[in-house]
Amino acid sequence: SEEKNISLASPTKVELRCKLDENSNLKNPQVTWKRGSETISHTSKTKNSWAIQLTISDRSQLGSYTCILKGEKEISATFNLQVPNIEGREKPIITYEGDTAVMVCKTEHDPKAWTWYMTNGTEKVPITKILHADKFQIKRQSANVNRLEIFKLTKGDSGVYWCEAAFDLESSKSRFELKVLSIAAPFKPFIAIVAEVAILVTTIVLYEVCSKRKGKGGGKEFDQIEQL
Amino acid sequence: PVPAEAGRAPGPPDGGWGWVVVFGAFLSIGFAYAFPKGLAIFFKEIQDFFGTSYSEIAWVSSIMLATTYGAGPISSILVNRYGSRPVVMFGGLLCGVGMISAAFCTSILQLYICVGFITGFGLALNLQPSVIIIGKYFLKRRPIANGLAMAGSPVMLCTLAPLNQFLFDNFGWRGSFLILGAILLNCCVAGALFRPIGASTAQAKTQVTEEVKDALKGKITEDGPMENKTEEEGGNDCFEKVNQYLDLSLFKHRGFLIYLIGNVLMFLGFFAPIIFLAPYAKHTGIDEYSAAFLLSILAIVDMVARPATGIIANSRWVRPRIQYFFSFAIAFNGACHLLCPLASSYTGLIVYSSFFGLAFGMVCAMLFETLMDLVGAARFTSAVGLVTIAECCTILMGPPIGGILIDTFGDYKYMFIKCGAVMVLAGTFLFIMNYYNYRMLAKEEKERKKKEEDPKSVRTEKEGKKNWNKDSTQHGPELEPLREKGEGVKKEMNGT
Repeated sequence: SEEKNISLASPTKVELRCKLDENSNLKNPQVTWKRGSETISHTSKTKNSWAIQLTISDRSQLGSYTCILKGEKEISATFNLQVPNIEGREKPIITYEGDTAVMVCKTEHDPKAWTWYMTNGTEKVPITKILHADKFQIKRQSANVNRLEIFKLTKGDSGVYWCEAAFDLESSKSRFELKVLSIAAPFKPFIAIVAEVAILVTTIVLYEVCSKRKGKGGGKEFDQIEQL
Repeated sequence: PVPAEAGRAPGPPDGGWGWVVVFGAFLSIGFAYAFPKGLAIFFKEIQDFFGTSYSEIAWVSSIMLATTYGAGPISSILVNRYGSRPVVMFGGLLCGVGMISAAFCTSILQLYICVGFITGFGLALNLQPSVIIIGKYFLKRRPIANGLAMAGSPVMLCTLAPLNQFLFDNFGWRGSFLILGAILLNCCVAGALFRPIGASTAQAKTQVTEEVKDALKGKITEDGPMENKTEEEGGNDCFEKVNQYLDLSLFKHRGFLIYLIGNVLMFLGFFAPIIFLAPYAKHTGIDEYSAAFLLSILAIVDMVARPATGIIANSRWVRPRIQYFFSFAIAFNGACHLLCPLASSYTGLIVYSSFFGLAFGMVCAMLFETLMDLVGAARFTSAVGLVTIAECCTILMGPPIGGILIDTFGDYKYMFIKCGAVMVLAGTFLFIMNYYNYRMLAKEEKERKKKEEDPKSVRTEKEGKKNWNKDSTQHGPELEPLREKGEGVKKEMNGT
């Protein structure tokens, strides 16, 4: 069965059409459109396609609509009508004390408004420009891209942040996890590797000096005599 | 093949410490080629952090690549002057410093300088000397040594890609750059392994003393004033000075010119398919992970193909005609690209990736071997520098031209056709020109042998030896063991 996601930002009329492939074995199937358990009557029908027309004006009308074709076998296709997806970051963002953190939210359609939240325990607290002027900055990179910048990071800034895009139909959210590490964190492996390099280089040079000293005794002049 | 040296001299070690040097070169070359590619993982995050566009970030890679190839002649001059070891160690240090300072950058411009220029220059100082020192340690087994050393690139890429991802997930981009700086310092370890050697030029000189002792007596005393003379002249004439460290007379060398033109042409179509393979796969509807898997297949086949090609190229049937094998590899590569548009399914793309990996490995394994074969180990130092700076332009032009083709026609197949056509053309050109070159070399060899039988030839031989001396004076500290040997010989001669 096939599935298709359709993003709707504002109230609109949609036509969902299921089209049967000409080469299919299914002949003259019985077609039903369903949403959950509710059956919807199709508004238009051609030789090989069946469609329904929907007016989406409310968030309750979003969801999955399926067309089921019954014949010798049953095939179906689902349309997922949903709010536009926000592109964020699933993996935690790693930053360091004193540095700046940047979180970018991107959607396909232009939302009416953007809101950023930080979490205090389990509570979502909106970040307003007036309250946290020197610490936070919200920049509008374009209509559908929004940035949150957090300055002078401290360990306490670690946690979950939310970016919310408000559309006519419904709001969409994306989660960010911020981790603030101390500057010492990457230094441990760094020092370890530098130490390894220093040890190896010293070993190689010492080995060479030692083997040269051993060789100088008999080797070289002997070789030259042999050559002639 | 180069006359004179290979024919008469016993040759470089071809083993022993040479294999340790191959390992060092493996590391060094691996970092030089794989590191810029591995950085791509960090770009999205850095792009978000500085709020720049994708093309501004891509410049970091381009600057790095341009510097690595463009600084070739500088690398050659330094190796001619100081030998491979100090240059590689300094290069490793520079890379480390570049990446460590990049961890503290606050603007994209600073990244261009730290990651692009400084690290790029450091990698250039790693790449050339590693290839050069293989030519000094190997002759009979040189193709194998080259194949093994060049295998460093795919192995490093397969190691760096997951490592970079791990570092990024745990330390963010700043911490990762800091740690990568430390990792790049390992190039200094590789450099420490590059023990200086003057074997090939030393042997040539001892052979000379064997044959014409009288001429040699006059010769060795001539050596002193002649060296002073060249240094004096060097001081006066800038061109002469440059020529002392970077052999510009190579531009009159037939084999070198053939190689240069063929390779410059080839690089127009060499890298673009790799860069666009994953996007092309995604374009045909394949998911991201399967597309990345195609590149893994390419790298794995590449890893095996390089040493295997080295072994084949070393065999007694292929070695004398190695230039033909190289031309064939390039044309084979081109043929793969031309057939790629026919592969529409995922299986087809897997087949393409495997053959591409094979062809890519074959070409890379022999890339420097064929140049060494044409110009000889002595002039290779300068040759490699001049070749890389010429290739620099086409390497940088290749992917953007491919990108323009894709954007204009909305279809990837024209890019593949362009790359395939360019490479088949380059392969054919090299094949024909090398056939001509082999014929001319055989003719020259015959003439030279005829002249040797002629007693009048002593004078021309002296001139011939003068040229050999010029070559050996270009090799700075590697000359140390050479001079000692020469003096030892003098003692013996005076004794008899």
